[in-house]
Amino acid sequence: MKKKFRRLGSVALFMSILLVVMSACGAGDKSSSEAPKESANKSADESDKGNVDLKIVTTMAGTDPTGAVLEELVKEFEAANEGVKITNESQTADAGTIRTKVNTDFSSDNEPELMFYFNTVDAEGIIKEGKVIDLENAEGIDLSGYNSMLEQQRNADGKIYAAPQTGFYEALFVNESLFKEHGIELPTTWELYEKAIEEFAKTDIIPVAVSTEDSYYVVEHYILAAGGMEPYSSALSDKNAVWAEGLDLIGKHAKMGAFPKDAATIDLAMAASLFNQEQAAMLLEGSWAWGAIKEAGIDKNVTVLPMPNKNGGETGELVGGASQGWFISTKAFNDDNKRDATVKLFNFLTSEESIVRLAGATGQIPAKGELTDLEPNIAVGHKLLKDAPAIDAPINDRITPEAFTHMRTSVPEIVSGAKTGKQVLDEAAAME
Amino acid sequence: MKNMKGDKLFIILFLAPAVLITSVFMYVPFFENFIQSFYKTDGFFNSTFVGWDNYKRLFADEIAKKATLNSLQLMLYVAIFQVGIALILAVMVDSIKVGAGFFRTTFFFPVVISGAAIGLLFTLIYNYRNGLLNEILISLGFERVLWLTEQSSLYMVAIPTIWSYVGFYFVIFLTAIGKIPQDFYEAAQLEGVTGFQKLTKITIPLIVSDIKVCLILAITGALKIFELVYIITRGGPARSSEVLGTYMYQKAFVDANVGYGATLAVLMVVIGLTLAIVTNKLLKSEDVTY
Repeated sequence: MKKKFRRLGSVALFMSILLVVMSACGAGDKSSSEAPKESANKSADESDKGNVDLKIVTTMAGTDPTGAVLEELVKEFEAANEGVKITNESQTADAGTIRTKVNTDFSSDNEPELMFYFNTVDAEGIIKEGKVIDLENAEGIDLSGYNSMLEQQRNADGKIYAAPQTGFYEALFVNESLFKEHGIELPTTWELYEKAIEEFAKTDIIPVAVSTEDSYYVVEHYILAAGGMEPYSSALSDKNAVWAEGLDLIGKHAKMGAFPKDAATIDLAMAASLFNQEQAAMLLEGSWAWGAIKEAGIDKNVTVLPMPNKNGGETGELVGGASQGWFISTKAFNDDNKRDATVKLFNFLTSEESIVRLAGATGQIPAKGELTDLEPNIAVGHKLLKDAPAIDAPINDRITPEAFTHMRTSVPEIVSGAKTGKQVLDEAAAME
Repeated sequence: MKNMKGDKLFIILFLAPAVLITSVFMYVPFFENFIQSFYKTDGFFNSTFVGWDNYKRLFADEIAKKATLNSLQLMLYVAIFQVGIALILAVMVDSIKVGAGFFRTTFFFPVVISGAAIGLLFTLIYNYRNGLLNEILISLGFERVLWLTEQSSLYMVAIPTIWSYVGFYFVIFLTAIGKIPQDFYEAAQLEGVTGFQKLTKITIPLIVSDIKVCLILAITGALKIFELVYIITRGGPARSSEVLGTYMYQKAFVDANVGYGATLAVLMVVIGLTLAIVTNKLLKSEDVTY
């Protein structure tokens, strides 16, 4: 009897432990199903005490110099608004981890109040689900003072969900010193560009520092160069022959020795590093490359030129725009206790002063106001954008990630001759 | 009879946490993954039921075929060289009297380094312009060599993959060999058995079950190869070193096509289970007791 009792006691003890474990597991479900209620209560409590917790997610992190400025701005806002506590969960835009984080946050009811994110195909799901607000028609939102970049953010449904911060351009970064040293003319036309490739290929200097495996900028610029802005702006489903020609031109130039020997295995950072170490004369990159160029101490030797055009079209056309913006989550805007602080923070971060400070960290083009006292080479880029006869977004902002990945990862096969540009284009179009 | 009933209750209760945890963290996610393989989905907001479309695509996908063949090829290299080298090293270390501890630590060392760190290390070793191998060649007066080409990339990622886990199997073999009673060897010596015969007639037959376990671990583990390939070549150049792990990652996380990524994951599970069963059947032998 005693033994049986002891055994029953053990069973009861074990069951209790199991129950505790299971209830701990179940707590996750409970918290998620009752999350809005709990969060509202929490906010109400916070509001009673005058405390509001806000979460922001941006791509201003890692080696991005704007991260430090954002941190300063956040601290200033907290100091000026007692009771508001901001958690900055920014992550670098490299490797696409930010996309997973944002999608996970929004689909698990854990979205940030404010988000600085890609207003491209990446945000489509979030917008369609009504997870972010229409800024133009939201009470208290100040969109005054914006330049044309605001209009570029307009969604296909006619609404503006993201407020831009800076614009960018992608172009040909040229090490003028190396050109001078080797007596080669700057690549202002297609013929001079090919001549520069030929001449540098005879030296120790790599003509163009690119990664063909990670070939975002190569693909875009060669398609733009092949026929100008009109075919560049066409849809992938058009299977424009100019796109195929552009891809084939990459193969042609690779055979001329334009790219690093290991272009098919190095990544973008390694390609840029070849340029920054003055082992390469040209680099196809975005305006954010100035940060690393300055850090390498070669900025005085570098200028930026538009990609020359091969088959007509005006030289000066650029890949660029403003593909990122500040979003406000619908959940935060509908929360009476968070709305005011969220709107206030949004208006603060998108004020002319804040935008100019953030843009100043990398020399990017601000969406409000203007950067002053710019160094001449950075000013050249600003002028390039101002004078551009046409600008369009990068191809990967317009087509599905899967189709673009196929195009860019197939470039080494075009280089080796295993595939033609047309084949790759057809395969990519079939993926859309 | 009553006691047996009580034991059953205890068995069920003690197994319950393990079953619960395995279910929550393994079977349920796998089932979810299987369900996702029937959708065209980014895993978050866009989801459309497409039936067997992802599976039809899988069978027509040339890159998936190439990745499967590469994974199988890596599996072969791992089974032969990882387990083979580990066995040779274990026999050699077991036969020495002095310094066995040093070799044990040295050979096991790579196992404790993360795959990401080893990947970065080999990226720097293979680098064309500033890599260790080419720096050595240059200092010896030779030309630089492009180590990662379409022809060589799979072998180049196989080298660190094999190296990084040899130590794991080495320790298993060393322990197994250490458990063989010395009397066997002494008796064999009296019979005039030589060093190599000792290995083939005594050591290997007595540790055959350990070899079997190591082979199954190596073969199934090869399907999980991801980080080394991803860091060193990202599957390139021109998909030449693409393996199922890197291709699945690309589809699910880079291309935001979680549905097709899930289909590739199902393929990996099917291949893994099939190979584990086949290897188990082929290597079936009586367990040796001594």
